[in-house]
Amino acid sequence: MSRAATDAAAAREAFAAWVEEAGEGGRVFGQVLVRAPEPGLFSLRHVEEAGASGLKLHEDPREAREISKTTEGGEYRPLKSSPNLRRGWELRVSGAGDLLVAMNYLYPAGVVHWHLHREGRLEVTSYRENAARQSGIYKRVQRLSDGGVQDTARACCEDAVCLKKTLWDVDEDTPLGMDRGDGEVPCPEPCSVFVSLARRVRLFEREKKRDLDAIGLSPSEKEDLAALVEAAATGHVEFAREAEFEKPLNERRMRYRRLTLAPKLRPGA
Amino acid sequence: MRALIIVGHGSHLNEDSSLPVYEHAERIRLTGEFDEVVECFWKEEPSMRHVLDTVESDEVFVVPAFISEGYFTQQVIPRELGLEGPVTVKGDKTVRYAGPLGTFEGMPDVILERVEDLMRGRETRGRTSLVLLGHGTDLNKNSGGVIYLNAARIRERGLYDEVGVGFLDQEPEIGGVVENADADDVILIPVFIAEGWHTRETIPEDLGLTGEVTHLDGKRVFYGAPVGTHPSMANLIVARARETEPGRETQVV
Ligand code: SF4
Repeated sequence: MSRAATDAAAAREAFAAWVEEAGEGGRVFGQVLVRAPEPGLFSLRHVEEAGASGLKLHEDPREAREISKTTEGGEYRPLKSSPNLRRGWELRVSGAGDLLVAMNYLYPAGVVHWHLHREGRLEVTSYRENAARQSGIYKRVQRLSDGGVQDTARACCEDAVCLKKTLWDVDEDTPLGMDRGDGEVPCPEPCSVFVSLARRVRLFEREKKRDLDAIGLSPSEKEDLAALVEAAATGHVEFAREAEFEKPLNERRMRYRRLTLAPKLRPGA
Repeated sequence: MRALIIVGHGSHLNEDSSLPVYEHAERIRLTGEFDEVVECFWKEEPSMRHVLDTVESDEVFVVPAFISEGYFTQQVIPRELGLEGPVTVKGDKTVRYAGPLGTFEGMPDVILERVEDLMRGRETRGRTSLVLLGHGTDLNKNSGGVIYLNAARIRERGLYDEVGVGFLDQEPEIGGVVENADADDVILIPVFIAEGWHTRETIPEDLGLTGEVTHLDGKRVFYGAPVGTHPSMANLIVARARETEPGRETQVV
């Protein structure tokens, strides 16, 4: 088999060449700045530390897994494309193969998807196709309304919370209305974090039909408001973990509330 | 080229679940048996949906890092990876799908290695009971079945006065099993893939365990680490992969 017989192998070479062609400035992929100080040698670091010195040096590409595992605050990162990659490190590797190993821990499958997308061959799976496959506790995401999908995507996928460029749509005829993002890493299909939030939003949709009170608030909306008030009153709002959507003070859950609850609370605004 | 893909459950909340998959993958990488060793997950990245895109090899072995045959190994993994059976040809890749780890004939040995780790420097006294702990569920007979299967295989070796089973979510529940064990020493081994909430909290709390050794109603209870994190599981994963190849005998590890 020739070296470039598979997409993965072609992606490996194309990515290394793309970095080398960029010259001194290097390329930005997600939050990683990749530079080739000399042909075949690659240096990776956080994009905000382009000129920093005194970074902790790593030379094993597999150490990228540790780097991408937790935030600067030590929190586990379930979604590697969240804009919370930690700083303070430099990774030097030689060869396109080791570069790809490192990139696959920083942005899993990101390079091959980047390559296929550039070639116009990346297969994209819509929300409805993805939902149709779900089973078990996720089956209910099949019933999420189109509006619910749109709001979930705004809450979950915008660059403020995920740096991937969202390529998928609700279905063939219903494009996402959100800003899809400008980054280099494509997102060809709703990820498991998205599906998990979609499941939560579906639960919210169901209660809206049944249990609204006199001013139109649902039980979970009231739960979230109460939790916010109580947390803010302590002077320190402690957020739930990134994908802990069953907890009121989750950032994506709050982003969803901003879209759906805030307008109800400020009808004139 | 040959690739091994290890499929783990993974977690949105902590690293416990995927850690053994990464560790076993690294052990297997060092053996050089495969040109590529790749991890993928249900709840982490890369997803099962996309892992095959990242693989260069034309011969691909998929081994689920799951204990029992069931919902994940029969439904979710084949669906997400697009597998049609034990062998699937996808473009220029031939993908061989192995069975779960818990039903493998090498599993009792790993369980006994776990016991050995736990009992190193300790002596049992009087009657000794080994109890295998499983999750169990009312929905999936196999989940409990694999625990019974391993208990039966170990019982045949005649190493302990009794070999029992206990579950979190089905009868017999672990509390009763430990209480009713007709033994002076009870050795508990969780047949779980990873450390997690159950092994760190639910089980110790349900039983009132305080560490590796607890004195409970006149019995000494020894509590081991989960089987799935044992380094020997890496050999089991490789053996599972080899077994899917035509003409290759199952190799006992
Ligand atoms: S589905 Fe949304 S959150 Fe998930 S990777 Fe794609 S863009 Fe990011």
